[in-house]
Amino acid sequence: MLKYTLKRLGSTVLVLFLASILVFFLTVHSGDPLADLRESNDPDAPFEMEQRIYHMQLDQPWYTRYWGWLQGVLGCFRLSCDFGTNREGQDLNPILMQAAEDSLRLVFIATIASIVLGILIGILTAIRQYSVFDYSVSFIVFLFFSLPTFWAAVLAKDYLAIYFNDWMQEGAEFSWGQLLLISGVMAVVVPLIAGGSAMRRLVTGAVVGLFSAGALWYFDSAQFALYPRVGALGVILLSFGLAVGLTALIAGLKNRQVLYTALTVAALSIVSYYATWNLLQDPPGGWFFLGALFVLTIVICVVIARTMGGYAKGQATSVAVLTGVLSSALILLDHFMYHWPNMMSLKPRPISTIGSHTRRFTEDDVTWWQVNLDLLTQLWIPTVILMLISLATYTRYTRSSMLEVARQDYIRTARAKGASERTVVLKHAFRNALIPLATIVAFDFAGLIGGTVVLERIFNWNGMGQLFVTALQQVDPAPVMGFMIITGFVAVLFNFFADILYAVLDPRIRV
Amino acid sequence: MSHLMNRAAVIWVPPLYRFCAVHHRSLSTYSHEEQEVKLRKLSAAAAILASSALVLSGCTPGDDDDNGNGDDVTDENGETTDEGGEEDGDEGEASGEREALDLETTDDEIHVSVADVDFVSYNGNARTANNTTNSAIVGLMGSSFWYFGTDLSINPFDEFGSYEVIDEGEAVYEEDEDGETVLDEETGEPVINEDESSPMVVEYTISDDAVWSDGTDITVADFVLTWGTQAPGISNPDFDEEAAEEDPDYDESPHLFDSVSKSFGEYVPDGPQGDLDGKTFTVEYSDHYVYVDWQLVVGGPQPSHIVAEQGGLSVEELAEAFYEKDGGALEEAAEFWNTGWHVQGGDLPDADLLPSSGPYVLDSYATGEYLSLVANEDYWGTPAGTERVTFHFLDDGIMTQALENADVDVIAPQATVDTLEQLEASNRDIEIYEQELATWEHLDLNHGSESPFSDHEVREAFALCVPRQLIIDNLIAPLSDDIELLNAREVFNYQDHYDEVVSESYDGRYDEQDIERARELLDEAGHDTVEIEIGYQAPNPRRSDQVQLISEQCSEAGFEISDGGHDAFFAEVIPTGDWDVALFAWAGSGQIASGRNLYHSEGGQNDGNWSNEDLDAAWDELVVTMDEEDRIPLIQEIERILWDDLMSIPLFVHPGTFAADASIDNVRTTAAQTGITWNADQWQRSAE
Repeated sequence: MLKYTLKRLGSTVLVLFLASILVFFLTVHSGDPLADLRESNDPDAPFEMEQRIYHMQLDQPWYTRYWGWLQGVLGCFRLSCDFGTNREGQDLNPILMQAAEDSLRLVFIATIASIVLGILIGILTAIRQYSVFDYSVSFIVFLFFSLPTFWAAVLAKDYLAIYFNDWMQEGAEFSWGQLLLISGVMAVVVPLIAGGSAMRRLVTGAVVGLFSAGALWYFDSAQFALYPRVGALGVILLSFGLAVGLTALIAGLKNRQVLYTALTVAALSIVSYYATWNLLQDPPGGWFFLGALFVLTIVICVVIARTMGGYAKGQATSVAVLTGVLSSALILLDHFMYHWPNMMSLKPRPISTIGSHTRRFTEDDVTWWQVNLDLLTQLWIPTVILMLISLATYTRYTRSSMLEVARQDYIRTARAKGASERTVVLKHAFRNALIPLATIVAFDFAGLIGGTVVLERIFNWNGMGQLFVTALQQVDPAPVMGFMIITGFVAVLFNFFADILYAVLDPRIRV
Repeated sequence: MSHLMNRAAVIWVPPLYRFCAVHHRSLSTYSHEEQEVKLRKLSAAAAILASSALVLSGCTPGDDDDNGNGDDVTDENGETTDEGGEEDGDEGEASGEREALDLETTDDEIHVSVADVDFVSYNGNARTANNTTNSAIVGLMGSSFWYFGTDLSINPFDEFGSYEVIDEGEAVYEEDEDGETVLDEETGEPVINEDESSPMVVEYTISDDAVWSDGTDITVADFVLTWGTQAPGISNPDFDEEAAEEDPDYDESPHLFDSVSKSFGEYVPDGPQGDLDGKTFTVEYSDHYVYVDWQLVVGGPQPSHIVAEQGGLSVEELAEAFYEKDGGALEEAAEFWNTGWHVQGGDLPDADLLPSSGPYVLDSYATGEYLSLVANEDYWGTPAGTERVTFHFLDDGIMTQALENADVDVIAPQATVDTLEQLEASNRDIEIYEQELATWEHLDLNHGSESPFSDHEVREAFALCVPRQLIIDNLIAPLSDDIELLNAREVFNYQDHYDEVVSESYDGRYDEQDIERARELLDEAGHDTVEIEIGYQAPNPRRSDQVQLISEQCSEAGFEISDGGHDAFFAEVIPTGDWDVALFAWAGSGQIASGRNLYHSEGGQNDGNWSNEDLDAAWDELVVTMDEEDRIPLIQEIERILWDDLMSIPLFVHPGTFAADASIDNVRTTAAQTGITWNADQWQRSAE
C-alpha cells in the first residue's frame, strides 16, 4: 500500500510540474502585459512600464521567469511557499490564501452535498427504474444540469433570497394555501418513491400528506423558522432512531450485538450533548476544536464497536461510527439552531445576494456561532446552484452504475443464496457501483472550481475565479499559476483519494 | 493618442499633458494630469479624484451602453433640478446647494454601491487611486473650502472655512500691430503682457475648529502639502533627462509626486503664503494673473504631519523643502505619499496614517467586496447622519437585486432600459431617481479640407436631416421622460442660464428635420450624393442605433452614411484627422474655461479643424471674465457662432438612473461628477 501511495504521489507531482510549465508558457504568450500602458499617453507611462517590467521580470526569457516562479513554489516542500508577486508587485500569498479559502469552502460544501444527494437519488431511481419517479427525476436533474449559471443565479436570488427574506420578515408563517400545496406535493411524491401496490400508495400518500400538514402546522405555530431547535427531546429520539434505523439497514435488527452497540453509542451521544453544551457555547479554537471532538467521537465509536461487536465487529463498527457521526451532526445542528435568533437579530434578512461574509460579523461582539451562521447563509445560494448543476452527473452515474451492477452474475448469486434485498442492494450492488463514481468525483471537484468563476462574479465574492480571470486578462502569470497550482493540487489530491478508494472498494485491485 | 474627450481639461496646460485616453479604464484613469481640480465640497484628496472622474467620463465615449467598461457607471452621477419628477419632493433644492440639516448621528449602517471598482488608496490625489468608488469614499473622509452643487454650481463650504478675493487682478494680452491677440506658438495660449497685468490674490481662512480625526489642527501646512505635491518644479533628484532620452530602459520618474492633478502648482507657483501652523493663507495667481476657474484650484487639505513623519522630516522642514523645491529632501516623503496610503496585500494601512478631515473615517475593508466608514467623532462640523456607511463594489448587473434584498440601500447602476424595468418591477419600496447628467451627446463635424464638411452647405444639409428629436424619442425617452433636445454646449437644459443663452444664440432651425431643404442644399453645393462616415467608440449599441437612425433619414437627402464604429476610435481614428463625423459625449465639469481648448482654433483638443476668429476672440475674453453676468453675452456669442458654423450638433444630456430604499432620507442626486454619495453624510434611515 505504501509503495502504491508513493508511486501515485510521485506521478501527481510530475503531472503538476508538467502542467505548470504548459500553463506558464501559454499564459505568458497569451498577450502583451504592457498593452494598456503602451496605449496610454500618460507622461509617466514609460516609468510605469519599467516598474511593471521589473516586477514581472519581462526582460527575462519565459523559462527564466518560470524558474524564478518555480523556486518560490518549490519552497512549499520546505513549508514556505512563495507564489510570487502580481504585476503591481504585491505579494500574492495573502491574496491567494484569502481567495482560495472562499472558493474552496464553496466548492467543497457543494460537492459533498451533491455527492450525498446525487448518490441517494441515483440509487432510488435505479431501484424504481422506469417508474414515474424515475422519469420525473431524470427530467428535473437534466433541467438543472442545463441551467445557465447566471440565469439560475438570478432566479435563485429572487426566490431563495428576496422572497424568502420577505417571508421571514413577515413572520415566517405558511399560509393555508402554501400548507396544502406542500403537503399535497409530499403526498404525491413520497408514494412514488416508496412504490408498492395502488392501495399501499394511497395509504402512504394519505399518511405522508397528513404528517406534512401537521408538521407544517407545528412549524408555523412554534415559529420554527425564527426560533428553530432540535431540542433535547429531538436529539434523544433521533439518536435512538438513527441507532435502530442504521442497524436495520446495515445489519438487520436480529443482530442484537450490533443493535446494542448502536444504542450504546446513541446513549453516549446524548450524554455528551448535555456534557459539552456549555463548553460549546464558545468553542475554544473554533473548527479545530470541533474537528478534534469529531475525531474523538469516531475513535470512541470504533472502540465501543470492537469491544461490544463480538462476531459482528465489522458491521457493528460501521453502524456505530455512522450513528456517532450523524448524532454529532444533530448536536451541531442544534447548536446552530440555538444561535439562529442571535444571528437574525444582527441580520434580519438572513440570506444575502452579495459577498462571502457580512461586515457586521467581523466586529468583536459576535460569537463564533454567529460568524459561522453568517458564512453559511452567505454560502447557501451559490452552494445550491453549484449543487443542482452537478447533481445530474452524480444521479445519472449512480443510476446507470447501479443498473449495470444489478445485472452482474454475483448479484444473481447473492439473491439465489437467499440474501435479503437490503444486503443485495447495499452490500453487493452499491459498493461495486461506487467504483466508477470515485473517478467522477475527483474530476468534478476540479471542474466545479472552474465553474465558480461566473458565480463569484454574480455573488460578488472575491474568490479564485475572479483572481484567475483578472490575471489572465492582464497577462499576469503569477496569479494564474497560483490558481492553477491550488486547483491542480486539489484536483490531483482528489484523484489520489479516488485511487486509494478504488483499492479499498475493489478487492481485485491488489496494491 | 487620443486627445479629445477631456472636456474638463484645463486650458493652459503644456501640450504634453493634454491628452486623454479613452476607451479603457486604466487609460482614462491615467490620462489627465492636467485635470483641473474640480473639487467638491469635501476632501482635499477627493478633489482631484473628482476631477479625474470627470475625465473618465469625458474620455469614455461608451458611457451608457458599453457594459464592458466599469467607468461608465462612474460617470453617471446625476442630479435633478426642478424637473426631477421622482425627486423626494424636498423643497428648495433648485439652488443645487446642500441643504442645511441639523443632524444627529444615528446608530445605523447604510450600504451603498456606485461601481464595481475596488478601493485603492486613502490618497485620492494619487494617480492610481483615480476611480469612482475611491473618489466617493475619499470624498467622505475629507472636507474642503467648497463643493459642487447638484447643478454644477460651486458653493463655499463654510463649515470648513472661507475664502475671499482680496485682489481681483487683471490679465492684459499682448497684441500685435493689427490689434490681434498674440498666441504662444507652443501652447496656443494668449501671451500675457506682464508689465500691465497684476495677479489675482485670494485669501483663505480655515475654520478655527478644523482638526484631523487624530486631534492635530488642520493648518496652512496641510495646504502647502497639497500644493507641493502638484508643483511642477519639484523634480526627482535622481532623474537625468539626458539619460532618459538616450536610454529606453531608463527607469526613474521625472516627478517625485505621482499626482493626478498639477493645477494648484501651476497656477500658484509660489504656493500658499501664511503662517505654517496658522489658519490663514493667501494664494497669488502669478502665472496667469487671473483664472476664471480659480475656485477649483484650492480644495481640501492633506495631513502634512503624517507625511512629514513618514518622510523623516518635521512639518516645517517638509514645507521648507516644498518652497525650496528641494527634491532630495522629499524623496522619502514622496515615496510614502505615492504608495504608503495604498491598500497592500488586502489590508488597509495602519489607521494612524489615515486621519480624516471629513464626517467619516475608514474602518474596515474586504478586498473586492466592501469598505466600511464610521462617523468621525472629532468632526467639528455637522455630524454625520448615520454612524456607518459601507461601500460595496458591485457589478451593475447585480445591483438591483441587491437593492431589492436590502443588501444595499443606495445604488448607482448604469441607466439602461433593463435596469429601469427591474427597478420598477421591484416589490420593495424603493425610490427611483432620474437625473440629467452633465454628460452630453453630440455630433462633431470635421471641417478639415479632406472632409465633405469643409463645405458649409453640406454641414447645413446634414444638420437639417439629422433626426434629433427622433433619436430622443426612440432611444432616450424609454429611460427618462425629462430629457429634451439640448440646444447648447456650454450650458445644459437644467441650468439657470440655459434659456437666456439659447434664446439669443439659436432660433430652433435644426429642431425639426427638413429633408427637402437638405436635398436642395446639396444640389446647390453641386453634390449628387455625399458619402460620410459617422465614427464612434465601439462597441456601443446606443450609438450604433443613433447612426442607424441618422443614416436612414439622411439617405433621403442624399447622404450615404456608413457606420464608423471603431474599437479605438479616439486613439487611432481621431488623431489622423481622417473622419467626417464623430459621435460621442463630453462630461461637463462646471469648469468655465475648458471649452476654449475645444473650440479655439489653437485649442489643444480642437480636432475638427474648427476655426473662427470671432469665436477665438470670444473665448479669449471669456476665460478672463470673472463676473458671471458678464460672461453670459460671451457664451451667447460662442453658441451663436457654433450654430452658425456648425462645428458640433448637440443632441441630449445623458439620463442617469439611481435608486434607493425609500426609507433612506436625504438621498439627492447631482449632475456633478461627485456622484450620488456627494451628500452621503446627510443620509439617514427614517424611523419606522
